Amino acid sequence: MNGELKASSDRLGRDEWVAEHTGRTRRDPVAAVGAAIERVPFALRLAVIAVGFAAFPLLTDNSYVLRIVGTVALFAALALGLNLVAGFAGLLDLGYVAFYGIGGYTYAYLSSEFLGIHLPTPLTLIIVIATGVLFGWLLGLPSMRLVGDYLAIATLGFLLVFNQLTASLTRVHLPWTDGPVDMTGGPNGIINLDDLSLFGLTATSIKHYVIIIVVMLLTVMTVVHNVDRSRIGRGWRALRENDLAAETMGMPTKRLKLLAFVFGSSIAGLSGAVFAAWQGAVFPNNFAVPVLITLYSIIVLGGLGSIPGVLVGSFVLVVVPELLRDVALASTLFYGAVVLTLIVAIKPLWRAGAVILAVAALGGLARLAAPEASLPPGEGLGALVSHILILPVENATLVGNVAFVAVLGLMFLSAYLTSPTAKLLVLVPSLWLLALAWQTRLSQDPSVTRLLLIGATLVALMNFRPAGLFGRTRVEVL
Amino acid sequence: MTAILEVDRLSHRFGGLRVVDDLTFEVGEGEIVGLIGPNGAGKTTVLNLITGLYAPDQGDIRFEGESVAGLAPHKVTERGIARTFQTLRLFLNMSVIDNVMSAAYCRTGANLGQIILRTPAFRREEAATRLRAEELLGFFGERITGYRFTEPAYSLSYANRRRLEIARALMCSPRLLLLDEPAAGMNPSETSEVTELIGRLRDEGGYTILFIEHDMGVVADIADRVIALDHGRMIAQGSYEEVVADPSVIEAYLGRGTGITR
Repeated sequence: MNGELKASSDRLGRDEWVAEHTGRTRRDPVAAVGAAIERVPFALRLAVIAVGFAAFPLLTDNSYVLRIVGTVALFAALALGLNLVAGFAGLLDLGYVAFYGIGGYTYAYLSSEFLGIHLPTPLTLIIVIATGVLFGWLLGLPSMRLVGDYLAIATLGFLLVFNQLTASLTRVHLPWTDGPVDMTGGPNGIINLDDLSLFGLTATSIKHYVIIIVVMLLTVMTVVHNVDRSRIGRGWRALRENDLAAETMGMPTKRLKLLAFVFGSSIAGLSGAVFAAWQGAVFPNNFAVPVLITLYSIIVLGGLGSIPGVLVGSFVLVVVPELLRDVALASTLFYGAVVLTLIVAIKPLWRAGAVILAVAALGGLARLAAPEASLPPGEGLGALVSHILILPVENATLVGNVAFVAVLGLMFLSAYLTSPTAKLLVLVPSLWLLALAWQTRLSQDPSVTRLLLIGATLVALMNFRPAGLFGRTRVEVL
Repeated sequence: MTAILEVDRLSHRFGGLRVVDDLTFEVGEGEIVGLIGPNGAGKTTVLNLITGLYAPDQGDIRFEGESVAGLAPHKVTERGIARTFQTLRLFLNMSVIDNVMSAAYCRTGANLGQIILRTPAFRREEAATRLRAEELLGFFGERITGYRFTEPAYSLSYANRRRLEIARALMCSPRLLLLDEPAAGMNPSETSEVTELIGRLRDEGGYTILFIEHDMGVVADIADRVIALDHGRMIAQGSYEEVVADPSVIEAYLGRGTGITR
């Protein structure tokens, strides 16, 4: 075959559009970051994460900061396990947190005066993992016939039963005891747990626990990463894509599902034990539905099935709520997020600029209408905003409440509008009212506002990026 | 010729409807057998019964002399039967190479410990699996090779998805390959390519092939033997010429008493 013919045959059957597929996805900046992370060798990624986390216990003694760092790593490890069950294998496991709790309580039983048992830590951890496997298997076995929503309901039921039992098994009459026996400590939990003690060293300070949790996170990451790139990982992804085809192509789908389930429950159990030792106690509240929701938010935010996404997700969902406790910082983040959203959502750029100017002009008009009104207080970027937007306020609480309700009303109105111009026109007063509501009301009540903000951020983010930050948009071909 | 597959008095009902009714046939080692019949004749159900997706109500299916009736589908595949689907069932959001490699599951044995520690044995097996997958994809020329390996399966054209499904089935290392309408939805040149491919699969790959096809051109060109079904019963079998000339086959396709049959 001569050269020319060879060159043209190279292109035969190759659709240029398809050939550029990866190029197209990388135009998206967030996906580009995700793809860049994927290109970094795994060992190097691990090293960067290790150094990043290790910097904190080495550089700071601030126990508040260390507690947040430890929580990020703990939630990342937990979310990795859930990501394996829900992201890789596609099983909607809502009982995941129960296994976290089983790990915590198992540790408490084996390392406290509650039963008077003090086993050495390595043995305890092995028993904890074995217990996680056992309970995962016991719940998984009957549940594997269920799919999708049905599996979700069955596993959620398991979590609720677990929560109820840990809270209420305080007066149990056993046939071989005289009086009632306290089996779980009830709402008061089990306290005064032993510290972790590994290789002859006992963890006594928060620094030690941060290091232990980071080591656990790195181990879990390595294990999950290795399993993902193996026959088992491919089997999980295959059964998530098409259960029937996976089974027909020789993959024992029931056993693979059970394996994913058990894998997840053992990771959760281990995390629970480390958490219990760190906190020095276990309470039913530690393992309840809010934790489950946070974990699902982490993996969905990061992108189902993405390992770097889990880290970013747990960072966002643990650190951002803490940052929002500070009013000045919260205001800066809030206005920054609003402006950023405008810039991203409104194209071309000059329109976004025009909207911001129009909001400021509206503020000027309000000032003219009420020249005597006092300005609302503000800190950080909030002070600047209250001067530019000129938000006159007399009866701050009432004005704030009305403004907040009015913003919601305008947002609903906007959802029914079809013309882009009309949407922009409604947007201007909405933004001004939103700023008014923020300055007078929302920023004054950070404990409530931060949850509102996180909720709003999740709603907005999932609308912009349905597949999460580093997730791949799944394609269904009809 | 020894029979690799024996279907023995097989019956299956959906409620009161007999979709497969007392069906008996054999497929010999190295044979290419075409399964034809009008829509609703029970052809795909026969494939579903053989591959274990349904358990037969009555009768037996023997593969290489051993019964596979009622086995779980993955066990049937492990014995050496693999198939493709009429309505494609690819793992669309996985890469092309992962689609094929995933089907090596029952031919590989690395356990969890080896995988977590990435032992040399696991790496060797993984490398061999990848090599085999690339080799199988190479069976189709340049169409799904090279840069396509890492593309997600959904980016492939319809014809290439059919090719990928065949490559995936081959990764199960079957001795009997069941193809459900391999030429469905293909244009004439792609159809003739599929015809040639089925021949090559037998001649070069050594697979025994049972296929369902509505395109009589493909059946005429490649089938050693044709089995015609109607209402779940076998109405004729033999060479293509014999079967299409059989009055009951003509009746099944065209009805009785039309101008054409007279």
